[in-house]
Amino acid sequence: MKKIVYTLATALFLAGSLTSCDKKLDIDPVNSVRDELALRTSSDVEAALVGCYTGIQNAEAYGGYIQLMSDLLADDGEVTFVGTFIPPNQINRKSMLKDNGFAQAIWVNAYNVINRTNNVLANIDKLDTPAKRARVEGEAKFIRASMYFELVRLYAKDWGDGSPASNLGVPLVLTPTRVLDAASQVRRNTVTEVYAQVIADLTDAEAKMPVNSPAASFFANKYAAATMLARVYLQQGRFADAGSAANRVISVNKYTLNPSYADEFFSGSAAGLLPNSPEDIFAIQISAQSGRNELNTFYSIDRRGDISIEDKHTDLYGPTDERGDLFTTSSGQTYSNKYDDLYGNIKLMRLAEMYLIRAEANFRNGTLLGATPLVDINRVRTRAGLAPLAVLTLPAILRERKLELAFEGFRLGDVKRNRETIADPAGVAVPWNSRRLVFPIPLREINVNPNLVQNEGYN
Amino acid sequence: MKQKIFTHIRMLLLFAVCFYSVSAWAQTNAISGRVTGSDSGALPGATILERGTSNGVSTNADGAFVLSVQPGATLVISSVGYTAQTITVGSQSVINVTLAAAATQLNEAIVVGYGTSTKADLTGSVVQLTSKDVANAPVQTFEQAIQGRAAGVVIESGSGKLGQGIKVRVRGTASVSGDTQPLYVVDNIPIVTDNLSSTGAPTNPIADINPNDIESITILKDAAASAIYGSRASNGVVLITTKRGKSGATRFNLGYQTGTSQATRRREFLNSKEYVELLTEALKNAGRSDVSNANRLRNYAAGVTVDGNYAVDTDWQDQVFRKGSFSQYDLNTSGGTDKTKYYLSGQYSTQEGILVGNKLQRIASRLNVDHKATDKMTLGINIGLSRTRNDRLPNDNAFSTPLQAVALAPITPVIDPRTGLTSGALDLNTGNPNNNFPFYYNPLLGVQNNAATYATFVYRTLGNVFAQYEIIPGLSFRSELGLDILNQDEDQYLARVTSRNSGPTNGFAFSAHTTSGRYITNNFLSYRKVLAELHTVEATLGTSYEERKQNYTSVEGSQFASDAYRKLGSAAVYSAGNSELTRSSLLSYFGRLNYSFASKYLLGLSARIDGSSRFGTNKQYGFFPAASLGWVVTEESFLKNQTVLSLLKPRISIGRTGNQGFSDFASLGLFTGTSGYVGIPGQRPLQVANPDLKWETTTQADAGLEMGFFDNRISAEVDVYQKLTTDLALNATVPATSGFTSQFKNVGTLENKGVELSLTTRNFVGDFSWTTTVNAARNANKLTFLQGQPILGSFVSRAQEGFPIGTFFAPEYAGVDPANGDALYYVNRANEDGTGTGVSDRSKGTTNDINAAQLVPVGDPNPRWTGGLTNTFGYKGFDLTATFIGVFGNKIFDGGAQYYSVAFNNGPDNQTRDQLNRWRKAGDITDVPKADYLSGNGSGQSSRFVKDGSYGRLRTLTLGYNLPGDFVKKGYLQSVRVFAQALNLVTFTKYKGWDPEVNTDYLSNNTTQGNINQGIDFYTAPQPRTITFGVNVGF
Repeated sequence: MKKIVYTLATALFLAGSLTSCDKKLDIDPVNSVRDELALRTSSDVEAALVGCYTGIQNAEAYGGYIQLMSDLLADDGEVTFVGTFIPPNQINRKSMLKDNGFAQAIWVNAYNVINRTNNVLANIDKLDTPAKRARVEGEAKFIRASMYFELVRLYAKDWGDGSPASNLGVPLVLTPTRVLDAASQVRRNTVTEVYAQVIADLTDAEAKMPVNSPAASFFANKYAAATMLARVYLQQGRFADAGSAANRVISVNKYTLNPSYADEFFSGSAAGLLPNSPEDIFAIQISAQSGRNELNTFYSIDRRGDISIEDKHTDLYGPTDERGDLFTTSSGQTYSNKYDDLYGNIKLMRLAEMYLIRAEANFRNGTLLGATPLVDINRVRTRAGLAPLAVLTLPAILRERKLELAFEGFRLGDVKRNRETIADPAGVAVPWNSRRLVFPIPLREINVNPNLVQNEGYN
Repeated sequence: MKQKIFTHIRMLLLFAVCFYSVSAWAQTNAISGRVTGSDSGALPGATILERGTSNGVSTNADGAFVLSVQPGATLVISSVGYTAQTITVGSQSVINVTLAAAATQLNEAIVVGYGTSTKADLTGSVVQLTSKDVANAPVQTFEQAIQGRAAGVVIESGSGKLGQGIKVRVRGTASVSGDTQPLYVVDNIPIVTDNLSSTGAPTNPIADINPNDIESITILKDAAASAIYGSRASNGVVLITTKRGKSGATRFNLGYQTGTSQATRRREFLNSKEYVELLTEALKNAGRSDVSNANRLRNYAAGVTVDGNYAVDTDWQDQVFRKGSFSQYDLNTSGGTDKTKYYLSGQYSTQEGILVGNKLQRIASRLNVDHKATDKMTLGINIGLSRTRNDRLPNDNAFSTPLQAVALAPITPVIDPRTGLTSGALDLNTGNPNNNFPFYYNPLLGVQNNAATYATFVYRTLGNVFAQYEIIPGLSFRSELGLDILNQDEDQYLARVTSRNSGPTNGFAFSAHTTSGRYITNNFLSYRKVLAELHTVEATLGTSYEERKQNYTSVEGSQFASDAYRKLGSAAVYSAGNSELTRSSLLSYFGRLNYSFASKYLLGLSARIDGSSRFGTNKQYGFFPAASLGWVVTEESFLKNQTVLSLLKPRISIGRTGNQGFSDFASLGLFTGTSGYVGIPGQRPLQVANPDLKWETTTQADAGLEMGFFDNRISAEVDVYQKLTTDLALNATVPATSGFTSQFKNVGTLENKGVELSLTTRNFVGDFSWTTTVNAARNANKLTFLQGQPILGSFVSRAQEGFPIGTFFAPEYAGVDPANGDALYYVNRANEDGTGTGVSDRSKGTTNDINAAQLVPVGDPNPRWTGGLTNTFGYKGFDLTATFIGVFGNKIFDGGAQYYSVAFNNGPDNQTRDQLNRWRKAGDITDVPKADYLSGNGSGQSSRFVKDGSYGRLRTLTLGYNLPGDFVKKGYLQSVRVFAQALNLVTFTKYKGWDPEVNTDYLSNNTTQGNINQGIDFYTAPQPRTITFGVNVGF
């Protein structure tokens, strides 16, 4: 008996101590996955790429904030922000505080997406086939470049403002974050460096991406990259390159203008989905279960209706302009009807924009790549129910661009590159290169990273 | 009249004297009996002495004695560790005595981590409470019963809802983002106390333990006592020991009590007439026309014109408060032989809350068995089974919570005269909710006919088996295996009638199932040896391993064919589902060495090494040592020959403890798969790794002095302590350019320091006994480093460097401008240290623009002083115990006041009566601004809503009577006790709200803010005032 007890006791004691080695403390999470286990196979990396799309679908990116805040900042009294949110109000008044919540949210989300793309790009060798590798690399670079292009336009001086080679852009982070250390205290790269990275990524993306994206029609393809490239060159005033990129999209004859401008933006049911149309080169997908159309939230009369459209804008449309019909006035406030679908896809890149870019580029350069500027402009006008023009001027092209692409997030870039002077709601003139048209580097970033230099006027 | 009573008493006395003396003469002089202890069975070695003589005897092993005495003798019965009793023999020949265990006796056994010690040998700061402190209290959990009983242990029930989480703080709040509740250990097994509620409001897993099964509760406060629990001991440790059987005759104990409860207090709201008057004034001041005002009132009054004859005056508090009930049935039995002893109990307890729809029921049973297998080996099992059903109410911030009915207008009738249905019932024609009558959703709709229900069932198994073997005399080995299995089902259904609040869902159901399983093994050696009668050595060395796994699954759905179908199988739409699993493990080695020389000089050393799966790979193991010294001065020869000082024992300790109460995988780099894009699966990085993540470290120093005077008739204990907590784990802000916004890191520091006093005086001993126990504690909390950034809580609460946790920061209210009735605020001055806060500076003047006023510290929700005062009186069979508790110097933020105490400046909600003092005309001096409907005048969050939350309360009052022994014996019974008791009978406070013991449920559980949100009142249910009557029968 005694022996048994001794043995038992010893066994128990040992079981409690010696066998309980470190392994017992090594417990794997189940709801989430350890980062070193997340990207092991081809499909893991493809899923991580899908996560990048989810990232740009977020409200803080192309879910609406980037477009809406660009337009509010560049607004020249054509809209009024009548909502209770303070940050958009500050942006509309062009007097942002350095802790502006939307300026912070856009920055935080963009770098979050960039880290997602960096994770994909760092694991590109995991993909099974060269074709997959090319597609995934192209799409990830397209998304990363898009975020950097948006960041450099919002948080830095315009390309044409002084010397981009010495003006501070935004920090370029091109590798995935695994640990946080001194290297995480990044510095701002120059505007030139950021543009160079964007163009390199997009050029590579356009080369590698397929004509059609396989998994579903709504992932970005070669022409989405070309479209973004056209925008980048346009912003830099590289008109030949911009026109050439736009021409690559048009000349493939894959896309056609939606016969009705209104149909491009409204499905007919306020609770409905708005699918992609043949005009759409790339659109952010929204469904009841996925994503949120924040342009719907802010513009729609059925939702917050925080954006009041002023007569200064609606007066710009001619009497037969169908685009001028997309407004509703109720109780003294005019609303845009462009985003009335609760679950409407957000049309990020439309063929009409390519016609406009090619026309402007050809006109400015005196070239005739693809078509004459007049033909391109009249294509857009005719679709909107307007009479074709006989003679073209640069202001006419820019005016067409402004009306065709109204409330789609193009105003800030256009005001800056065309050196327009706008006025704030108090009537004070704000020139294109005013420091008031540049977002603050978010205060939270300045607080945790002493290497970041704040933009002018926010210190 | 007076004289008549006097005469009656005199006659009664005369009769009694005659009766006694006659029967006394009739008896022989030999008496026999048995002495038992109140907390144990037979008391061997107790002394029975005939008073005034040297005639005496000691009890035998069964506690029995036989003694011959003179007629009219009085016996003094005493035993070490128990309060002596004096008994007049009278006519009795059999005297059975139960001695009460004394609270402050040196030889009293004190439960410590992995063993027991005695009060005399202890060198740490420890409070032990016994079964009599918790038994039969009309509360759901034992923490509520010991409120105010232990110095430095602050217990707060945030609301009067049943089964809700209870805040227990031992020596202050020692964490910002981590757990702040103590570690609970039942019979050596740490138990699950995590809140498992799916609603935002926490529940209390301790409610599964029957307080009547508890033998003792020991609270380990300083590091010397608690460091043996290592990385979970920073918040103190509560050791619960359950009752065990004693050898001897089988005993049965039957208990029953029943009673009622009501809200401690109600707020005063406007009646119909006042409501109409003040609202009309506010509307007029806002420029609304008489026609629209009359229409508005008519709408509120269910379509009836409100004029001088309008008779409806609804007190909505009457509709939602009720007389709750409390009933409890206990039956337990214990007994055994020298070889096998058992304790077996069962309880059914049911309580209906003071708010309609709130109910808690518990069925609990326990079996504890000890078996002596051989002379050297003991085996045993302790097992507790329980099933708790809690019918819960919506969170305080929900329109559907009953107490939010106070927002409705008193001119709104309970029954809509147009339909004969409850106001706000579905429109009979359309089936749609009445979206504008009453002006808010009527919470009565949910509680009527069980329309909205949320039932939580918890099935709990708490058990352990153990074996102990004496290897050589003095050295024994003990092995324990414990299991804590908790199954929880939550079922919610919201019927159609609630659709104005729950959405047009045609019925909504939510169902969640949680399984929490934990197993623990303890293996340890204990050694005790006395050498040369001078050196006493006690040592413990052991290891422990535990593993926990928690599974959660939930589904929700809507669209039910009718409200008769309430389970999700009948839902036409499933709108959401979730399934989660989390695990953790802890591997520990611990040891303790106590040495005492001649019972004078005491040394204690202890240490634990904890390895935890929660810690980063670089910091997997933590080391938690403690050392303590004590000196029993009264054992010194120079103090031998005096009678004043019976104990003088200074002691000091220092040690280190930890806190690992944070999420299971906080140290890992993680990806999440929740990033699908319109139906296509996706993943993304979720969290960045921190391989250096470790426990929060608390270094605590304690100095104490224990004193006893006049043979311990007066005993006192004083402790001062300082707890420095470093490596606070916080979500530290990181550059977002990394793709992450925060990393869980050990960055902050805080400190708690304080003083604790307790004093027990036995004012009278003998026939009439009176004991007074007082305790008081002062704790000062201060956040010393938080990376420079405040962590914001809800409302105006925040964690800010240099201030106690939870300090309110808000604009400082400066009263009302007598000229125009505007609310004014002190502008104050911005703090130059760049923390974004302000400092008080009256020279900056006042403003009526609340946004122009700096946020300054306007109140601290942490109490300055807490304490309790217990008086126990005994006379013959009667006993009376009264416990007062006090909480002083804390502030409350009345979060609901911005709706109900703003003179209609924030909407039509009914207002508290103090709003009648509003400013009306130029020159009025008042602190209630002008009533100006929806103007926001004075309704912004400011110090206007910060109130003094100090209170004193008669927490418990118990009057009991033990029927005389021989009377009881005639009914073949052992003992009969009848009692009446009251909980929260009287409350003294300046707070004008429902109850000053308050912290709104929906904010107290937030993982990042839960410790910061303190003292917030938001339509929070007051505490119950409960009165019960009961009987305990032993046979």
